[in-house]
Amino acid sequence: MSLIVENLRVTGPEGVLVRGASFALQPGQPLVLLGETGSGKSLLAQAVMGALPPGLAAEGRILLDGQDLLALSAKQRRALWGRRIAMLPQEPWAALDPSMRAAAQVEEVDRLVHGRAATEARALTAARLAHLGLEGAGRRYPFQLSGGMNQRVALAATEAAGAGLLIADEPTKGLDAELRDTAGRLLRAEAEAGRMLLVITHDVALARLLGGQAMVMLEGQVVEAGALPALLEAPQHAYTRRLIAAEPAHWAPWPHRGRGRSVVEGKGLFKRLGGQELFSGLDLAIGAGEVVAIAGRSGCGKTTLGNLLLGLTQPDQGTIRRGDGVKPLGLQKLYQDPLAGFAPHQRLGNGLEELQRRHALPADAARRLLPRLRLNPALLARRPSEVSGGELQRFGLLRALLLNPALLFADEATSRLDPLTQQEVMTLLGECVAERGTALLLVTHEMALAEKTAERVVRLPAFSEGKDIPPQALGRPA
Amino acid sequence: MTLSPKRLLGGLLLAAVAGFALLAPLHGADPLKQNLSDALLPPGGAYPLGTDHLGRDLLARLAAGARLSFGFALLAAMAAALPGTLLGLLAALHGGWLERLLLGLADAVQALPALLLVVLVTAFAPGDFLPLYLGIALALWVEFFRISRNTAASILARPQVEAARLLGFGTGHILRRHLWPEVAPLIATLFAFAAGTAVTTIAALAFVGVGARPPIPEWGSMMTELLPYYAEAPLALLLPGLLIFLTVLGLHLLAGRGRA
Repeated sequence: MSLIVENLRVTGPEGVLVRGASFALQPGQPLVLLGETGSGKSLLAQAVMGALPPGLAAEGRILLDGQDLLALSAKQRRALWGRRIAMLPQEPWAALDPSMRAAAQVEEVDRLVHGRAATEARALTAARLAHLGLEGAGRRYPFQLSGGMNQRVALAATEAAGAGLLIADEPTKGLDAELRDTAGRLLRAEAEAGRMLLVITHDVALARLLGGQAMVMLEGQVVEAGALPALLEAPQHAYTRRLIAAEPAHWAPWPHRGRGRSVVEGKGLFKRLGGQELFSGLDLAIGAGEVVAIAGRSGCGKTTLGNLLLGLTQPDQGTIRRGDGVKPLGLQKLYQDPLAGFAPHQRLGNGLEELQRRHALPADAARRLLPRLRLNPALLARRPSEVSGGELQRFGLLRALLLNPALLFADEATSRLDPLTQQEVMTLLGECVAERGTALLLVTHEMALAEKTAERVVRLPAFSEGKDIPPQALGRPA
Repeated sequence: MTLSPKRLLGGLLLAAVAGFALLAPLHGADPLKQNLSDALLPPGGAYPLGTDHLGRDLLARLAAGARLSFGFALLAAMAAALPGTLLGLLAALHGGWLERLLLGLADAVQALPALLLVVLVTAFAPGDFLPLYLGIALALWVEFFRISRNTAASILARPQVEAARLLGFGTGHILRRHLWPEVAPLIATLFAFAAGTAVTTIAALAFVGVGARPPIPEWGSMMTELLPYYAEAPLALLLPGLLIFLTVLGLHLLAGRGRA
């Protein structure tokens, strides 16, 4: 079994998107494609899969066991899916069928792809799920499972298909550190079991975990390639070095400035969600200029705690008190998915103008802040979906800063961004907070990020994987 | 609504029927004038589409029927869309008992066949057309209500609305900037379907003798009148049916395979 890619180019109407990538893939040796959004790494994988978006074309040679895939018709290539090439979907909780039980989704692969009898398929599926630590999860629907469990269900389905080549596109997107490690180990086990594994990620930690070979891509070009972990320990290319430095663990710690006057204070907080107790008797006070992080696994109530302090939900027991002179408008929030926080049909400039009028702010208030947030005024004419995630998150910050907030609640505000963009947005956030004495409440599943930035870290007790997790309590990482 | 070939075709069909309705009077015939010596003539001569059993000009009658159906469909769909959409948005924004009450009401209305509902209203309300408007509005508001309520409720649960409230915006802003841009295209699609339903409903009712009655030139009642003469003048019976078909097809194509 082998995959040999020679001088693969992907071109579209706007020009060349992947400029000549060559690599060879062997069973047991994972290949990790590292790079940021727009670097062409996903296109490269889609070209191998034969699933490029319409309008894009691949040239070069892709030899799977000696057979040139680019010489095949689209129909012949689709016939390889599942049987010879499988793709582990990005965000499996969105790719699984929400109306089918987990086991049925794995079973149908055995029945439909391999034509096995129902009873045989059922037995095989049970074994596969058990092997991945999913006993008992088969009877549940995807929305009743956590992100990590859904990912393992998807993995079980691709295993059932039995393809020799497994492509995983951003397999750790939206997963916290612990689940990321689990996912990494599971993928490595796939490679060790003799499959060819191609992993696309911007997550340097995942690359380190997987081992094998790595290629770093920037603007459609492979800028560096080599064996792991050597490549990460002694990176040659400046971009690789920046990528590694952007990992929160390598950040310079933020200066601590101590607590000013009280901004918001919660006492004896108790909250249940979906029949599950999230926390009880919890005290949390935040003062001006302070950076506090709430850390913990998915579904442990981090966001709920932040929302309580902002007055967006009410505690079952306990009290929330805002500090003297802190108005409700003084508490603002940044969202995990910046796109979800904006009205999709409104141009960014119009939204900001409305906000200025609503609060009788000077007409140029937003424009004056643009350079501080390194935002190009030309972006004001665009809609939220027409700017990058990093830019939009900075617009979210700008919008909040216009109201001169006493507290900013950043709810996983950078977890969906590329490492370099995450670093940029976090740095900017830190600077603004320091300049204005704003308190910052961070919710993050990334412990390193919390430790580098916060003066205090509140760790919430977490549910353990596989235990009964009420679906409502799952901070769905989608 | 985006322009697709299907939508274009639907628009052209409607434009053709509307053009027919508006241009036919230029021919100058009176849709009500009888001339028994000219009964059941085939197309030709002074009667481009022939005559009916009372010697009335079919072209003039069909065109008058088109004007009636178009006007009726538009008004009836509006009479359903306006309260339906407003109540849907209100239910989503208010929540609680009001939402439950309206949802229950919608369920109750949907448990009755629409035609029966219209006939029931006709029994109580006076006049030829008022009960039809009332009945169709009563039957069709439910769809507008459900679609706008469900869409609005799912948008209201999104972070974009939470963010708007945190930024100090009120309900009016949320209605204008967050709900309306997504609800409006669905309502437009539904409106076209509702207008189509109104066209078939008025024709079906007239066919069974409710609503528009002879000598009003209405497509459905024309078919009732011409039914006994299907052997002598099949075209005269076919034409009103064809116009109903083309109008409803046009409306449905215009509505598109919408997200509704």
